[in-house]
Amino acid sequence: MKKKIAVYKITFFLLLIVALVTALYLGAYDFSQPMTEIISTYLHTGVHTPDSFVLIELRIPRILMAILTGAALAISGTSLQGLFKNPLASPDLIGITSGAVLFAALTIVFGSTVMHLLSPFFRYALLSIMAFLGALATMLFVYKMATSNGKTHILILLLSGVAITALTGAVTGFLTYISTEEELRNITFWSLGSLAGSNWWKVCLVFIVVAFGSIQLLRKGKILNALMLGEKEAAHLGFDIEKTKRQIIVISSLMVGSVVAFNGTIGFIGLVIPYILRFVFNSNYNILLPLSMLLGAVVLLVADTISRLVVIPAELPIGILTAIMGAPIFISILINYKRKL
Amino acid sequence: MLQVHDLNFKARDRFLLKNIDLEIGQGELIAIVGPNGAGKSTLLSCIASEIKYNARNFTFKNKEIKNYTKTEIPLHRAKFSQHQSHEINLKNDEIVLMGRYPYFHNNPGTGDLEIVQSWMQKTETHHLTDRAYEQLSGGEKQRIHLARVFSQLENTIENKLLLLDEPLNNLDVAHQFKTLHLIKEFTQKQNTALVVLHDLNIASQFADRLILLNRGNIELFDKPEIVLTKERISRVYQYPCSITQHPVTQQSIILFG
Repeated sequence: MKKKIAVYKITFFLLLIVALVTALYLGAYDFSQPMTEIISTYLHTGVHTPDSFVLIELRIPRILMAILTGAALAISGTSLQGLFKNPLASPDLIGITSGAVLFAALTIVFGSTVMHLLSPFFRYALLSIMAFLGALATMLFVYKMATSNGKTHILILLLSGVAITALTGAVTGFLTYISTEEELRNITFWSLGSLAGSNWWKVCLVFIVVAFGSIQLLRKGKILNALMLGEKEAAHLGFDIEKTKRQIIVISSLMVGSVVAFNGTIGFIGLVIPYILRFVFNSNYNILLPLSMLLGAVVLLVADTISRLVVIPAELPIGILTAIMGAPIFISILINYKRKL
Repeated sequence: MLQVHDLNFKARDRFLLKNIDLEIGQGELIAIVGPNGAGKSTLLSCIASEIKYNARNFTFKNKEIKNYTKTEIPLHRAKFSQHQSHEINLKNDEIVLMGRYPYFHNNPGTGDLEIVQSWMQKTETHHLTDRAYEQLSGGEKQRIHLARVFSQLENTIENKLLLLDEPLNNLDVAHQFKTLHLIKEFTQKQNTALVVLHDLNIASQFADRLILLNRGNIELFDKPEIVLTKERISRVYQYPCSITQHPVTQQSIILFG
């Protein structure tokens, strides 16, 4: 078993490397020089050529953002599924993504005066903090709605998500009416989801959040397994259930919030990745958590590369691609459910 | 080993347990018996710290039970619950391995895996390793969880406490006796076990003492032959019974009706 896990880890890691290298070379812009040369010239001169600008300021940050985003969405989805003991509990379906989008949109429209005064780093930080607060508020709302006597009712959880998504849709629609043209472009970009706006500031911020969050979540494998026995049984194994719940709720809100703040709604990754892994490893969260990070990174990077390539020189919003993957899997989970009823 | 004085448990203004006093020594196998709703499971839940109760004094190995930390107590005390989860999407040995979770961080040691294997053998579940948990019968699932609970207490600490809530439900006769022998083996190593049982004859055959509960009170806490009298059992269970002798072992056995 241990060997098998190691094999999967190495395979996914190699896949990630392959995807990364492919993504570097493919795109609307073709480089005239070898990549190492472009980078070394830039490092020596400090002046951008068109080649080095595309590579260093656009393509590399975007690739890194895809990796971080995929990893963050996948591990948050896996953790939430473990917490709620249901394969449908993913950040987008229970409305957390929508909550984050709502707060981010409000910040853009009503905070534009403040935002212009801030340096890029703080502007992005403010945006991700607001998105985090939106995600957290939604999370607490749906959790309280769906939980009674320590049991979470998945139907109410999902329907609360639907309600929140509807509310967000209405408010975002209203905001597009009152927004200026620049704000409008920003808001539309969110509802579709895109990694095109990535830059080094955003990558740094997301990296900090994802590094911190995943270190915490990767430790939760045993307790998420134990929760399958029931909360009392898990407590008899020495786990602090309430503390773990709080941690997972806050950390996954933080990760989803910061990712959404910069890339908009990229749906279904948190649903699809754990679903695929469960075929091989059942629900052993000790294995699912690390592997979901790796596979999430691979899948999102591949999806983003495809979205850059299919309609050159324009690009396809990545949300469309992940939805094409995600919707059939969502339906197949529902069919499984129906069989069990 | 275990001292409880004046334990009360109230749910919605109704006492489910009243004035419970217990003194239990090391190496004892105690059976908790009584009719439905007498408070057997509630008493076990109190001792397992699963529900909030009031007690004047509750010490475990001369230390207030509340002073044990969350990570310390699993090494001293384990509980087998009456209702087990129906859906666990894990391999059966991974479920048993959960009993070892208090002992390792991310990866189990070889010792942990050996303990899992040995308890799966003792509970006769090792042949189920590759079957899906959901497809096991009720009794098989139960034995998987027994293996898990026993694995949890496999350590060098002395005088451990095992709590079992109706462990014999769903088990066939042979496995009922095999399970009781495992519990007996455990208590013979100076450990203590409290077991909720329904079958008075099995209880009297294996337990050192019986706690007979009736409407939240301890009717009597004593040796089986003292507790099990015709008059008392008929009154508590509100059903006629008679006591006769086992033709082989000469122990007294209860027949209802």
